[in-house]
Amino acid sequence: MKRLGPALLALGLLAWLALWPLWASGYRVRFMLELFMWVALAQSWNLISGLTGYVSFGHVAFYGTGAYTAGILILRADWPWPLAVLAGGVTAPILALLIGYPCLRLKGPYFAIAMLGLNEVMRVVVSYFDGLTGGGLGLSLPTLHASVPVYYAMGATALGATILAFAIITSRFGLRLMSIREDEVAAEAMGIDTSRYKLYAFLLSAVAPGIAGGLFARDQGYIEPISVFPLLTTITMIVMCLFGGKGTIFGPVLGAVLLSVFQELVWARFLYVHQVLFGVIIVAVVLFMPKGILGVLQERYRLPRTI
Amino acid sequence: MDGPILEVTQVTKRFGGVTAVNHCSLSLTPGRIYGLIGPNGSGKTTLFNCVTGLAAPDAGLIRFKGERIDHLPPYLIARRGIGRTFQVIRVFPELTALENLLVVSRGDGEAARRRAMELLTFVKLDRLHREYAGNLSYGQQKLLEFVRVLVPEPELILLDEPAAGVNRTLLNDLLAAIRDLRAQGRTILIVEHDMKVIMELSEQIFVLDYGEKIAEGPPEVIQADARVIEAYFGRG
Amino acid sequence: MTTVTGAMLAQVVVSGLLAGSLYALVALGLALIFGVMRVINIAHGTLLMLGSYATYWWFTYLGWNPYLSLPAAMGLLFLGGVHDPVDEKPLEKRAPELSSLLLTFGISISLVNLAQLAWTSDLRSVEFLTGSYLLGPVAFSKARLVGFAFALGITVLAFLFLGRTKLGKAIRATAQSREVAMVCGINVGRIHLLTFGVASALAAAGGSLVSVIVAIQPEMGQVWTFKSFLVIVLGGAGNYPGALLGGLLLGLVEQLSSLYLTTQVSEAIAYLLLVVVLLIRPTGLLGGRT
Repeated sequence: MKRLGPALLALGLLAWLALWPLWASGYRVRFMLELFMWVALAQSWNLISGLTGYVSFGHVAFYGTGAYTAGILILRADWPWPLAVLAGGVTAPILALLIGYPCLRLKGPYFAIAMLGLNEVMRVVVSYFDGLTGGGLGLSLPTLHASVPVYYAMGATALGATILAFAIITSRFGLRLMSIREDEVAAEAMGIDTSRYKLYAFLLSAVAPGIAGGLFARDQGYIEPISVFPLLTTITMIVMCLFGGKGTIFGPVLGAVLLSVFQELVWARFLYVHQVLFGVIIVAVVLFMPKGILGVLQERYRLPRTI
Repeated sequence: MDGPILEVTQVTKRFGGVTAVNHCSLSLTPGRIYGLIGPNGSGKTTLFNCVTGLAAPDAGLIRFKGERIDHLPPYLIARRGIGRTFQVIRVFPELTALENLLVVSRGDGEAARRRAMELLTFVKLDRLHREYAGNLSYGQQKLLEFVRVLVPEPELILLDEPAAGVNRTLLNDLLAAIRDLRAQGRTILIVEHDMKVIMELSEQIFVLDYGEKIAEGPPEVIQADARVIEAYFGRG
Repeated sequence: MTTVTGAMLAQVVVSGLLAGSLYALVALGLALIFGVMRVINIAHGTLLMLGSYATYWWFTYLGWNPYLSLPAAMGLLFLGGVHDPVDEKPLEKRAPELSSLLLTFGISISLVNLAQLAWTSDLRSVEFLTGSYLLGPVAFSKARLVGFAFALGITVLAFLFLGRTKLGKAIRATAQSREVAMVCGINVGRIHLLTFGVASALAAAGGSLVSVIVAIQPEMGQVWTFKSFLVIVLGGAGNYPGALLGGLLLGLVEQLSSLYLTTQVSEAIAYLLLVVVLLIRPTGLLGGRT
C-alpha cells in the first residue's frame, strides 16, 4: 500500500509527458525533448563517473559517435532513422570498448586527461575521413518533420537510462562498481575483478549517449564536428549529475530538470554568462555539497541509499 | 590436505634503493595460527602484499596449496581462498555495513544476505546493518573489516594488526573469533605488535628484521631468542 | 612526398627546440602542482591565457615591452595563485583527485568564459618582435628565439629556487611526503598555496612569451594544458628535469611530424602521443612517481 502512492505519481507523470505533444507548442516539445536528452546523458555519466569514480571528461565523444553513425547511415546507406539511431547505440559502446580497455587501467587523473583528449581525437578523426563524414562541412540529412516521434524516442531513451541506473544501483553489480570508487585496492583484494567491472560500466554508459546523439542528428538535420563534440556538452552533463547527486538514481534526473530550466532562462541570451555560471556551480558543488542535492538530503534525513 | 598451505620461497621485494623483503622463506601448515612479528619497517606488510598480489616479488616464488600465485592479480588470489585485512582500515565508507559484506558475496541473493547478517550478528553489528560504514566507530569498522574477510570462506587468512586500537572487551571477542576460525580448519597468519596477543594466540611465530627471517619457532622459544631480543631492543 | 633536405631537417630541429622550451616552462608549473599537491590542474592553460592577455593589454594601452612586463605578469598570477581554493581541506577526503579535477575544471570554464565576455573571441597578438634571423639556410624566428632564452632562464631560476633555497627544499620535501614534511614543521597548507602561486607564475611567463608568437584568444589555453600534461607523462610525474626533457621532446616530435606527415595528423600528434605513452609507460619515459 505504501508503494502505491509514488507509483501512481510516477504513472501520472509518464502519462502527462506522453500526452505533452498534443497540447504543447513545437517549441515546448523541443524543450522537453532536450530535457530528456540531458536526463539520458547525465544518467549515463553517472554510471561510470558517479558509481566507479572514474571521471569521464570526454563522454561527449560517445554522443558524437552516435550522431555520426546515424547521420552516415541515414544519408549514405538510406537506413530508416530509428534503425540508424539504434546503430549509434551500438557503435558508441564499441568505441568505449576500444578506448576503455587500455584507458581504464590508468589511474584516476591519467584516465581523466586521456578522456579529455579523446574529444579532440574524435574531431580530428571525423575531419580526416571527410569522404564519409563530410569533414568540417558537416552532414546534411534529408529533411523530415519528425519532432514528435523523436520526442517519444528521446523520452524512451531517458526512461531507459533511468531504469538501467535503477537496476544497476540496486544490484550487487552496482555495489561492486561503488566499491571500486570507495577503495579500489580493497575491492581487488576482496576478489573483485575491477578491470572487468569498470569496463562494463563504461560500455553501459556509452549506450544512451550514442542513441541520444543519433536522435539529435535526426532532429537537427545537420551535424558538424563542433556541434556534436563540444566540451560544453560534457560539462553540462557533469554539472547536472553532480548538482542533483552523483551516485544516486534520481540525482541526475533532478539535476537535468533544474539545470535545463536554468539553461532555458539564462542561455538564450547569455551564452558566456551561462558557461561562467556552470563553472561556478561546479566549483560550488565540489567545495560545498560534493554529494549533490540528493546526497545532502540523504545525509540530513537519513534517506535510503537507493533513491 | 597434505603439504603446506602456503610456501614463500626466497621472496625479495625492493622499492627503489630499499630492500623491504630480503630472500624471505616461510611455510605454513594448514589449520594453525601463525604469528609474524618484527620491528617497524621489517617488511611484514610488504610480505603480506606480495602474498596477496598487491606487490609483485622481484625474486622468489609463492605457492598456495601447491600452485604458484606470485604475479597473479589480487582478485584471482583472493578467489583462490586467501583473505586479508589491512593495517589501515579499508572498509567501503559510503556503503552500509551489510552492503560491505554483500559486495564480496558470491552466489544467490537470499542466501548471501542471510549469511552476511549471520556474520554481522557474530560481531554484534547486526543492529547497525543499515548504517553507512563510514559512520561506524573505529572498533566497529575494524570488526566489519574482519568479518568481511570471512564472507568468501577463505582457507588462509592474513590479519594485519587486528588488535591495533581495539579496546579490551572487543579484543577478547576478536581473539575468540580467531580461535574459532582455527577450529574450523582455517589457517591464520597474524601480524601484530601487541606481544601479549601474539604469544597467546600463535602456535608458531616468524620473526622478521630488515626484511629477513631471523627466527622461527613456538612462542616460548622466540621469547628467549637472543637475536629477537636484540632486534627489538638491542640496537642503538 | 617531397624529399627532406638537411636544411629542412635542421630547420625543423631548431623549431622543435624553440617550441619545446616553452612547453617545458609551462609544464614545469603543472609538474610542481601535481608533485606537491597531487592535483591535476586543468586550469593550467587558462592561467597561461591570462598571462597572455595581461601582456597584451599592457602592451596595447601602456606600451610596455612584453619582455619587460613579463615579471609583472608572473607576479600578478602568482598573487592570484596563492589565493586559489584548490587546497585539500574542504575537498572530499576520500577522492581528492576527483574533486580537484572537477574543481580546476570548473575554475577553468569560468575563467575562459569570463575572458570571452570581457574581451570577446577576437584574435589578438602582440606585434612586437617580428621577422627572423637567418643563419645559413635555417631561419630563427626572433620572437621564438627570445622566448627560448627567457624560457631557459626562468627554468634555470626555478631549478635554483627548488634546489638551493629553503622554501624550494620545503616544497620538494612536501612533494615527497606530506606527513613527513608536517612532522618536520613545514606548514603544508602554506606550501601548497606557494606552489600553486609559483606554478601560476610559470604559466603566466609562458603566456607572456607566447603572446608575441601566437594568436591570443580565450580558448588558447586548452591545448597548453593538454600538452603540459603530455610533457609530464613523457617525463614522468614528479620528475622536474624530466619535464624539461619532455617539453623539448614534444617540440621536436611535433615539428618532425609536420615534416613527414599530413598537417591534420601532426595536429593530432600530441593527443595520439599521449594515448600511446599512457598505455605503454604511464610512469613516463624517464620514470618517476605515478
